[in-house]
Amino acid sequence: MWFENFLQWLANTPFSMWMRGSVWAEPIVESIHVLTLTLFLGFAILLDMRLLGVCLVRKRVSEVLAQFNPWLFGGFAIMVVTGILLFCGDPVSFYHTEPPFFKAKMIMLVLAGINVLIFNVSIGRKVADWDAATSTPPAAKVAAVCSLVLWILIVAAGRAIAYALPPP
Amino acid sequence: MWLRDALLTFCRWCNGSFFGHGIRDSVWLFPFVEIFHLIGLGILGGTILMLNLRLLRLAFRTEETARLARDVQPWMLSSLAVMLISGFLLFSTEAVKMYGNWAFRTKMSFLLLAIIFTFTIHRKVVAADESRVKAGWRVSVALISLLLWSGVGLGGRAIGYVTTSASSVTGALLP
Repeated sequence: MWFENFLQWLANTPFSMWMRGSVWAEPIVESIHVLTLTLFLGFAILLDMRLLGVCLVRKRVSEVLAQFNPWLFGGFAIMVVTGILLFCGDPVSFYHTEPPFFKAKMIMLVLAGINVLIFNVSIGRKVADWDAATSTPPAAKVAAVCSLVLWILIVAAGRAIAYALPPP
Repeated sequence: MWLRDALLTFCRWCNGSFFGHGIRDSVWLFPFVEIFHLIGLGILGGTILMLNLRLLRLAFRTEETARLARDVQPWMLSSLAVMLISGFLLFSTEAVKMYGNWAFRTKMSFLLLAIIFTFTIHRKVVAADESRVKAGWRVSVALISLLLWSGVGLGGRAIGYVTTSASSVTGALLP
């Protein structure tokens, strides 16, 4: 199967072998990955709480979105890059973790992305209409709850991957 | 030394306590508590980062620092509480081992300094009238806060990588 071959090929690249062999590479990349939770997860939760109307309520939603977005994008980029580096270190084991925490995490990441897309083309597009209202529309609340649940499960699955990987 | 004895006695008590025992003996409780610790990390780190980015004039420039601080204060305090409680529970499962773990000691030292700094100097600067705070002082306070909390985070991550054999510590505990 081509994907298994790709994983095998990736595992045999010099970079992958270097990641596995190095004492410091994995801990450093892993630390950056985990501590970027403060930037990405923290800001995402605060934004979702604003959409639920329980945090930063004095500020307009559009303003909170505008202020948070560059940091969320930056945080997400760091997450993805460090995540890919960690994956490259041992692609075969990651992909085949049992129970399939890695696959679950990837599926939930796609769902979280779809959630953002749906928000942006529906209720988020008309944000100016409900911006200043004291209560946010139900659709915005649904998007926020989906986002919160997905990100918390993604963190849980991410932590679980490390338990499911074979010991070094 | 009395402090060493007191800390070791406390660690031994944690190890033997019902929660230390319970979490250690369960397959699922430790990872479960860990998730709370990680979500707490996100919220606590997120709020601290927000305030410091504001102090550094890198974000949220349309908002007064003091008002922003009042807005995020409940989230910061409650996530700190979640962090301390979940952290203590995780610690209690292998408290004696943690006593000898240099990463854990480093983390606790940074944590003590970070909490003191946050609730004294940092709090004062954040709540102050912005026109009366000198730029150099404002930036230094933000950078010191980021440094101290990064020390806590990095120390925390390092705990898992530092392998301490419990026996080297427990040896000292035996009469």
